[in-house]
Amino acid sequence: MKIRGFKHGGIDSMHRVSFEAKSIENAFLPLNALISLRNGPGLAEAEAVVKLGDQVLEGQLLARSTGANSSNMHSSIPGIVRRITQIKDAGSFDSLAIKISLDGSFSVLGKRPERYRWKALNKGDIGYLAQDKGVVRVSTGEPLYPALSKMSVKQEYTLILNVLELDPYSRVEESLFRLRTMDVLDGCAIAARISKPSRIIIAIDERYSAKTLSKIREAIDSCELDAKLQLFKHKIPQDHPRQLALALGINKDDIFIVEPSSLISLHEAIVSNKPHIEQYVFVGGGAIKHPAVLKARIGSPIGDLIEECGGFTSKPYTIVLNNPFTGRAAPDLDCAVGKTTRAILALTESEAKPAPERPCIRCSDCYEVCPAGLKPFLLHKLIQLGKIGEAKAIGLDRCISCGACAYICSSRIALVSIFDTAKKADKDRGQN
Amino acid sequence: MKSNELYPPYIHSWKTSAKSTWICSGTLAPLVLWSAYLYGYKTLFVWLVSVLTSMGTEAIVSAFTKKWTLGDGSAVLSGLLLAAIMPPAIPLYIPCLSAAFAILVVKAAFGGLGSNWMNPALAGAAFAYVNWPKAMHEFVLPRVITGVDGISASSPLSFIRSLSGGADLRIMEALKSASYPLSGFDIKVTQFLNDGFFSALGSQLPEGYIDLGLGFKPGALGESALVVIIIGSVFLLSLKLIKSIIPLTMLTVFSVLVRLFGTGLPGEYLFSGDVLFALFNGGVLFAAFYMAPEPVTSPSGKLDNFVYGLILGVLCYVFRRWAAKPEGAVYAILIMNVLGPSLEKMLDSIRKAISQHRQAKR
Repeated sequence: MKIRGFKHGGIDSMHRVSFEAKSIENAFLPLNALISLRNGPGLAEAEAVVKLGDQVLEGQLLARSTGANSSNMHSSIPGIVRRITQIKDAGSFDSLAIKISLDGSFSVLGKRPERYRWKALNKGDIGYLAQDKGVVRVSTGEPLYPALSKMSVKQEYTLILNVLELDPYSRVEESLFRLRTMDVLDGCAIAARISKPSRIIIAIDERYSAKTLSKIREAIDSCELDAKLQLFKHKIPQDHPRQLALALGINKDDIFIVEPSSLISLHEAIVSNKPHIEQYVFVGGGAIKHPAVLKARIGSPIGDLIEECGGFTSKPYTIVLNNPFTGRAAPDLDCAVGKTTRAILALTESEAKPAPERPCIRCSDCYEVCPAGLKPFLLHKLIQLGKIGEAKAIGLDRCISCGACAYICSSRIALVSIFDTAKKADKDRGQN
Repeated sequence: MKSNELYPPYIHSWKTSAKSTWICSGTLAPLVLWSAYLYGYKTLFVWLVSVLTSMGTEAIVSAFTKKWTLGDGSAVLSGLLLAAIMPPAIPLYIPCLSAAFAILVVKAAFGGLGSNWMNPALAGAAFAYVNWPKAMHEFVLPRVITGVDGISASSPLSFIRSLSGGADLRIMEALKSASYPLSGFDIKVTQFLNDGFFSALGSQLPEGYIDLGLGFKPGALGESALVVIIIGSVFLLSLKLIKSIIPLTMLTVFSVLVRLFGTGLPGEYLFSGDVLFALFNGGVLFAAFYMAPEPVTSPSGKLDNFVYGLILGVLCYVFRRWAAKPEGAVYAILIMNVLGPSLEKMLDSIRKAISQHRQAKR
């Protein structure tokens, strides 16, 4: 099979930490769950429908969606609403959050999962269920159904099931796809029912073993889904929409990318009638004793999950949520798992490799790895001089914030965050 | 942004600018020891004075700008590179003044590391060549040949240039017939190679090349041990610490030109220049691997580096063939340091024109 990949730039020489999940364990229920009503920066907040002191059941609606940019939020544990406060989310955006203390009996846990036959449902019913259960696109936090449904008006478009995880640590999508292949494919069939793609591509890392690949192939053949398996080069940032479209040679507006974890939550909402209250999280990194993929309740403090994985072996230098390239640092161990949390990485200093920032020496390593073909060192210099217009002229807007330049920078200049700040400032200026 | 732990990405490549500089300096350590073996322990003072002066100058500048920059290792590397260009028996005030000039005028005055418009070490060398031309061209014979330190002699390149007659002899034969000193080691090894290997191929290695390769000849401290330079550069290339395109293009172009047109030495005709002799003399290899790909002053991008290396190769050849002094590589690189930004701009506008032309076609 032809292995696809984008041509210019990228980092392919990274060592991947070996890890293979045997099974996905349920994490313990948290004593307190902190449920943030905003799923990501730039998205809207859901409107709370519970009051302080209310008794809530597991899976009960806490906040209702206010439009396309917010999703229904449900209580992940049975309990009492203790507090409704403004918090600063780990992604450094403000959000209203509801704190629930564990109390009362369980309704979802311990019950056999129901199995509805979704094939009898039409698109509208599926859409209603998906919205009602608060299913979101795990990569961005936006509700899954409206985004998918928007694609259905297109004559031709490609649905990409993105199983690529290219940084050294993250394994949640890979593990989900390997261990729950049928559910993911079923979820993919539901997504296809909603959006009617002209073709479905399953994007897989070239480094999968032949055994795993043949197993996956069997599973695809056994279900009715008309999907094509496609291997991609192991190169950062291949999992970015722009790079996937580039590697496939199609316009980036004609693809829709969905991850196994989003599809599992869609599948559970439609088939098992379960709200999106659980999140599959990989807990790993050099400072974690026993890395594992856990099924955690939304709102669990990350400290609890780390403890469940045996705690720290050594002092972590940073704790990162999601991808170490584009993710964000957790401010403390109390910050909670949200609908977009897929990995908690406790990195040691030898993994983070921090160094004092030094002046740029124009080694042009950043230019070599930039997948957009930009000259990050030049952009940085222009932004420093306040020449945003010139920076835009050489392509600041084409930057996809993949983090490759700042990873490779031997002077440890925080290139991506400087670009992000400049882009944001420029956008704000444009609006005023 | 002081601490990078709060900004993505949270993992980094092993390479830091300080680490690369220290590794680069480390690959020069064998060269220091080898030069001490060749020309006596007194040469260590040249290295020491040059490194200490550049560190001291950097420290003084740091004190003024209130930014401690000695840790990045660039001062040490500049000092080492500068010393490598000095002849063994040079009066110590020359490396001292040149190093101070390199750090103070070329580097610090333009904004320190990353802002220098010329390679500081090379600028220091040029400073020395211009101010003390006589001292900079006085070389001594290594102890292996004579048994004692400090017998002065001219370098093989200047020596052969001063020879006029004997145009029918190859360079090495001309040197031998003019009774240029050879080490016993060279004679033995050449004989061994000729008996065991080259005779089977029907060719013969003239005596003298082994001496050149090992540095058993009068020359600058850094150009002496080519074997050591090549090992160091392989190390640097494999760790991707230097831009490989520049030295490789430069050396290829230089070698091809030398082979085609010769360098104007005895025994060289069209299509039969002596490439080995050209590469082994005048510090071309050292300049190509340690000076030309210096990140701050060389352009970015593969094509730009290729063109940069190409012009460097041509300039090196031109200076070798027609210039009065043998240190042409130094000036070639300095000229390209200055022309580099314009070259990059020119290539950028060409690229832009091509892409516009393509779009217009669609």
